[in-house]
Amino acid sequence: MRFPVLQGWMVGSGQRPLRKQLAITLSAIFALSILVAVLLLNQLFGLQARDLIDQRSSFFMDAMLAVREYTSKDVNPIVAPLNEGPGVFRPEAVPSYSAQTVFSYLKAKPEYRDYSYREAALNPTNLRDKADSFETGVIERFRNDPSLKVIAGEKATPLGPMHFVARPIKITKESCLVCHSTPDRAPASQLLTYGDSSGFGWKLNEIVGTQIVTVPQKAVFEAKDRSLFTTALLFVIAFVAVGLITNTVLNQLILRPMREISRKAEEASVTPATVSFDERNRNDEIGLLARSFERMKQSLAISMQMLKDRQGRS
Amino acid sequence: MRWRAAVALLLAVLSLSACRRDQASQVRLCGSAGQLRVGYVGAEEGRARGGQAVLSDQDLARMRDLLTVASRCEVLLEPVASPEQARQRLGGGEWDAAFLPAGLAALALEGSGSGGYNLVRPLGQRSQSRSQLLVPAASTRRTPQQLQGARLGLLPRGSLTGFYLPLYNLHGLSLRSVHYALSYGELLEQLRAGKLDVIAWDAALPDPGADVRLLSEDRNAIPVGALVLSQALVAADHQPFLQVLDQSAAQLPPGLGYVAGVLPEAQRLQRLRAVVNNVESWDLPLEGQPYAVYGRKLQLTPEDQR
Ligand code: HEC
Repeated sequence: MRFPVLQGWMVGSGQRPLRKQLAITLSAIFALSILVAVLLLNQLFGLQARDLIDQRSSFFMDAMLAVREYTSKDVNPIVAPLNEGPGVFRPEAVPSYSAQTVFSYLKAKPEYRDYSYREAALNPTNLRDKADSFETGVIERFRNDPSLKVIAGEKATPLGPMHFVARPIKITKESCLVCHSTPDRAPASQLLTYGDSSGFGWKLNEIVGTQIVTVPQKAVFEAKDRSLFTTALLFVIAFVAVGLITNTVLNQLILRPMREISRKAEEASVTPATVSFDERNRNDEIGLLARSFERMKQSLAISMQMLKDRQGRS
Repeated sequence: MRWRAAVALLLAVLSLSACRRDQASQVRLCGSAGQLRVGYVGAEEGRARGGQAVLSDQDLARMRDLLTVASRCEVLLEPVASPEQARQRLGGGEWDAAFLPAGLAALALEGSGSGGYNLVRPLGQRSQSRSQLLVPAASTRRTPQQLQGARLGLLPRGSLTGFYLPLYNLHGLSLRSVHYALSYGELLEQLRAGKLDVIAWDAALPDPGADVRLLSEDRNAIPVGALVLSQALVAADHQPFLQVLDQSAAQLPPGLGYVAGVLPEAQRLQRLRAVVNNVESWDLPLEGQPYAVYGRKLQLTPEDQR
């Protein structure tokens, strides 16, 4: 393919001053490289943003597991006797309750606002935790494949696409079964709060639900676009700086001496004897040009002298 | 200069691509945590046995979706069987919106500590609801005064016909014990089994049968329930939310009795709100414990004399 216009601009065709030709060439190169960089980085940052969110989600789930552990080990022994008494049920003894409560405090921080955490179950104690059709699918996948530890992906919701990371919840402790096996083992106050028809019949080593962290896809894209925009801005700033410096250097190194030489050459065309191309002492191409002009000036001076002599003789 | 224009153009393209994914902003109605926490008790209480299916799975899913679409916010829909649980959630400001029966709606208006709630839509049909006390047909007790030393069965704290009105009407008596159940059906079973001497009952329920007898009936008509919103949501732009609910009222569970486009009459609750507050100011009975119904009693003029 040929782009005559572009070629005309970029390859010095001599239509415009050098400085302009260079500026145009540089901006074209820079624009093209920024565009290519942005396209590549877009992919890279997209992966990175998703990675970061997956990492954070995993961390959240681990943190919530730790909170659950703490509740089972340290809080439940203290609160459980109260729940056997005549008072109201204290949910503080419930691992799931403490995990979800801690998460709601985390969510109050602006950085985590987009994240949401759920412990969804097929047969939940609190109907709020009832798995919806999507979550049911996830739980079924975990149940069918016990080696599966994490599922991540995208899900469509009425609020737009969401990115999710899910892990199975497995009943690994006998202590869980006090409240989740049969109503007669559960504290009376729990039955009076949640009833006796759901959240029971769980078995040891059964996968009963899933921990699931969701983040709006929009947040993933926003994080990516923010990095991309910053990087692109840095590129532009760097390229503008390079452009300005190139421009100054071009001026100092080439344009100024060339204008000077050109002025002297003009003068030499009238009075060659009074003009001296001092730049001829330079070792670069300007010196070369100056030496050529110097030689031309001397030849001119000689020719003019010869012409004068001939005129004088005749 | 041409290259400056080129840079400006490039910047413009970049910033445009950064904004591309922002959808036209729609009005979102969220609670403080960036979620909409919705409580669901329904218009009536004590109907579902064992807390079973206050909402069927299908209704639960449909309602969650509808609320999500209406609020444009992540919804945590929490159906609860126990009025006590609902009372605690309301008291702690843990719900941003709730579908409540009359007694809890009255409590929500008080909003201890959390700024309270406003009623925005009525729920439920005007029914024959009245607070009643039932005893076994064979019981020798004929008047409420004879309930001295009885074992009383109630719905959990928070219920109007199942808790506040019966206690209000039994003021001054000493009871052997107070027991709770999540539904009137379970109370009736325990009454029949001889585990209780007297139970709270609602006149709107189907006839309990010939083996039990009505001991007394409270004269207050029970107002309908309400959808309530927290003060923060009321202060925010909540009209679009209500509009969507109004338009989709047919998708809400039929038993809920959501009435589109109407504001509930808060003053209908006034009288019962006074009862609720009065009883709440007493020391309240614990499961299985003896209880003397005692506290400063507010005298209400009977409704039919107003
Ligand atoms: C003191 C009784 C108790 C114990 C012990 C207990 N749970 Fe629960 N669990 C509950 C209650 C009550 C809820 C509902 C909490 C709420 O309202 O958020 C619940 C909720 C859950 C949930 C969320 C889904 C649902 O049912 O609402 C999961 C998952 C869960 N528990 C798993 C466990 C595991 C695993 C253990 C053992 C480490 C355990 N529970 C121990 C009482 C208990």
